[in-house]
Amino acid sequence: MRNIYLAGTAAVLLGAAAAVAAVAGYTSDAQQSRLEFVGLQAGAEFKGVFHKFTADVDFAPDTLASSRIDVQIDMNSVDSIDKDRDATIRGKDVFDVAHNPTAHYVTKSITKTAAGFSAVGALTLRGVTKDVPIEFQFVPAAAGAKLSGSAKLNRLDFGVGQGDWKSTDTVGDAVKINFSLVLKPKG
Amino acid sequence: MPNQSPPTRYSAVAQGFHWLIAALIVVQFTLGWTAEDLPIGARKLARLDWHKSFGMTILMLAVLRLLWRLFNRPPELPAGMSTIEKQLARATHVLFYVLLFVMPLTGWVMSSAKNFSVSWFHQFTWPNLIGPNEQAFDVLRTTHDTLSWLLFALALLHILAALKHHFWHKDDVLKRMLPFTKSEKRS
Repeated sequence: MRNIYLAGTAAVLLGAAAAVAAVAGYTSDAQQSRLEFVGLQAGAEFKGVFHKFTADVDFAPDTLASSRIDVQIDMNSVDSIDKDRDATIRGKDVFDVAHNPTAHYVTKSITKTAAGFSAVGALTLRGVTKDVPIEFQFVPAAAGAKLSGSAKLNRLDFGVGQGDWKSTDTVGDAVKINFSLVLKPKG
Repeated sequence: MPNQSPPTRYSAVAQGFHWLIAALIVVQFTLGWTAEDLPIGARKLARLDWHKSFGMTILMLAVLRLLWRLFNRPPELPAGMSTIEKQLARATHVLFYVLLFVMPLTGWVMSSAKNFSVSWFHQFTWPNLIGPNEQAFDVLRTTHDTLSWLLFALALLHILAALKHHFWHKDDVLKRMLPFTKSEKRS
């Protein structure tokens, strides 16, 4: 019995190793990649970006089971082109960057769709982890690839907005995320 | 039209514009001045949300009112008024019309400069008139605030003048702008 377990474990490990070997590893180019969110504030859309984030991507269109997208976001790097709004967003009631300086997104499963790919991943934001689906396209390029897509989430699922900011009359619950990652092969 | 004798009263349309815009301006002073004292937060944002929607309503009404005024002759000022009084009255009215446009427009440009787009009661969003610009915002905010005091002073002068006409001179200057009243025949 024990040998069967060992053999099984070895086979799984070998399989995993083979799968990992089949996917290409990439990291995002900080200068050219973009991560943007679009919210609704006082009835009007507003946009913000994160200037600092890194994506670690293992991806091959034909080995999706072992493909993975892992993104770390520096919440302090938020920029909505207004310093007062940025200060509010970084504050205790919204992102609370003092206690939650980074957000993390890692995919759990990726599937092929008609338009490209979709994935479900765990987003950890303001200390709360919840699944968020994303839709994206993966376009191989001469030196790397481009991964771009979008997602939708509800900010209140993550406690983004405490106190008066819990109201969705002034700031909508739904937030759209747009991303465009320029990927370079891992050195 | 040139040979028609001037009306003795303001038309129902002119009265409608006058009293509707007057009521909205009272609302605007209440919202604007109280929002100014609030700290940055959801409450301030909500109050300014209403302020902007009402402000854009006034701007639209001002366009219609000006068009109406250009094609419809108002009643003439009482014959007993001196030239200087008539000129002062005319200047006050011209300045009112200017402020009916300049107040919402400075507010709109100011919101654009702050990168807080203006919504109309969450139904649609007005385009930004200029790009994000902190210096422009500071100048525009001061202008908007200063002009609000000018408008307040002008409204006070306007009300006192109307009361003076009614109670001191006992003419029909106030009555001809009041619905449900009758003006005496021109002597």
